[in-house]
Amino acid sequence: MKLDDAPVPNPVVVLREESDDWAILFNPDTSAAVGTNPVGVEIWKQADGTRSLRDIAATVARRFSNVPEGASGEVLSFADELARDGFFGVAEGAEG
Amino acid sequence: MSDAVEDGSVPPLGTIYCYLTEGCNLACRHCWLAPKFDADGSGHAVLPVDVFEGVVREAKPLGLSSVKFTGGEPLLHPRFGDLVEIASKAGVSVQVETNGLLCTPETARLIAGAPRPFVSVSIDGADAATHEWLRGIAGSFDKACRAVRNLSEAGLAPQVVMTLVRENMGQIEAVVRMAERLGAGSVRFNMVEPTARGADLGRANALPGVEELVAAGRIVDSDLAARTRMSLHFDIPQAFRPLGRIARSDESCGILTILGLLSTGHYALCGIGMQVKELVFGMAGKDNLSGIWRGSRVLGEIRAGLPQRLQGVCGRCLMNSRCLGACLAQNYYRLGSMWGPYWFCEQAEEQGLFPSTRVGGTV
Repeated sequence: MKLDDAPVPNPVVVLREESDDWAILFNPDTSAAVGTNPVGVEIWKQADGTRSLRDIAATVARRFSNVPEGASGEVLSFADELARDGFFGVAEGAEG
Repeated sequence: MSDAVEDGSVPPLGTIYCYLTEGCNLACRHCWLAPKFDADGSGHAVLPVDVFEGVVREAKPLGLSSVKFTGGEPLLHPRFGDLVEIASKAGVSVQVETNGLLCTPETARLIAGAPRPFVSVSIDGADAATHEWLRGIAGSFDKACRAVRNLSEAGLAPQVVMTLVRENMGQIEAVVRMAERLGAGSVRFNMVEPTARGADLGRANALPGVEELVAAGRIVDSDLAARTRMSLHFDIPQAFRPLGRIARSDESCGILTILGLLSTGHYALCGIGMQVKELVFGMAGKDNLSGIWRGSRVLGEIRAGLPQRLQGVCGRCLMNSRCLGACLAQNYYRLGSMWGPYWFCEQAEEQGLFPSTRVGGTV
């Protein structure tokens, strides 16, 4: 993925939020599961096929404290992992 | 390079759990190994030093990086210092699980001089009455506390291990504060496995239920851990632990990389070999360790079967690739099958307490 890509959540994937604000992304078709921290949860919720990863990284920087410089690279890396495991796709025509 | 490293299906033999003594100088109500009482270590079998030396020599090419000395009571071994020296010369890390009764300042310094040493001391209450109710021997509380101080003064960060029974469930925070004062580096909370004497304790209704344990774990992980300088480990299956705590720790079952060595010289899955003969694999000094590690039918089944052969809720649990069935030895003891489900998780599911977010399928 690239920062201008707008990720699209796989519609079958379920976000299972837990009491400590962490969550599990679960794909019932494949039984694949990924645990994620509150930042990852925010990225997942922001990803709707219209927002680019750059925009999502900016939102994360506003909503969380102590976000380091270069956090957009970590957002990209997280999105790449989810894309590799089939949790994310990229919106048609949204690639930069 | 070892054969094990060359064969991707065989993991390195990372740690050998050495059950140094058949006897123990305590008489714990909950012990899963049920060793024979032995006040001074002279009455029961101990692991011969030359056997240990041979095992270390054979295990090094298989990937050995640490040995854990446990028992019975490992410090009852009359040549404990020689065992530490052998491990040290081989450059393998030394871990010791002790009740602390014999952990003098000299012994503490001896262990502190070994490679990457780690010691845990069992203390089951914040007062002598509670600890000794469980441990069975008067005076054992003061000696255990002294052991933690000795280890701390020797430069170690000893771990206090508290085994949870109904009698001491109200003392969790008090034990944490006591461990801080004694100079411990961490506290681990263990639940009693329903094996051997532990099963008797369960039948006597002396053990906390699943719901109580889950609630206590939540308090330790979500509250108490933030209010102490020490690290706290609440040892319940990972399905019940907060994801944030799991992510910050490196706790996963070591079953794929460990082997037990009993005081009789027998190799076994772990100490369960003292109770279940089917999980004994051969004899040190007589049977080739590489052959056992590579060729044991049981070990091969475990490597091939985890986690996909796990049964019941453990088979559906999203954490099973980390948890690896919690305790296959306990499963075998209880069910005659390693694949479970693990008793705690099974009871939690029956009682509607298994976290729905951690189970595969639609919730």
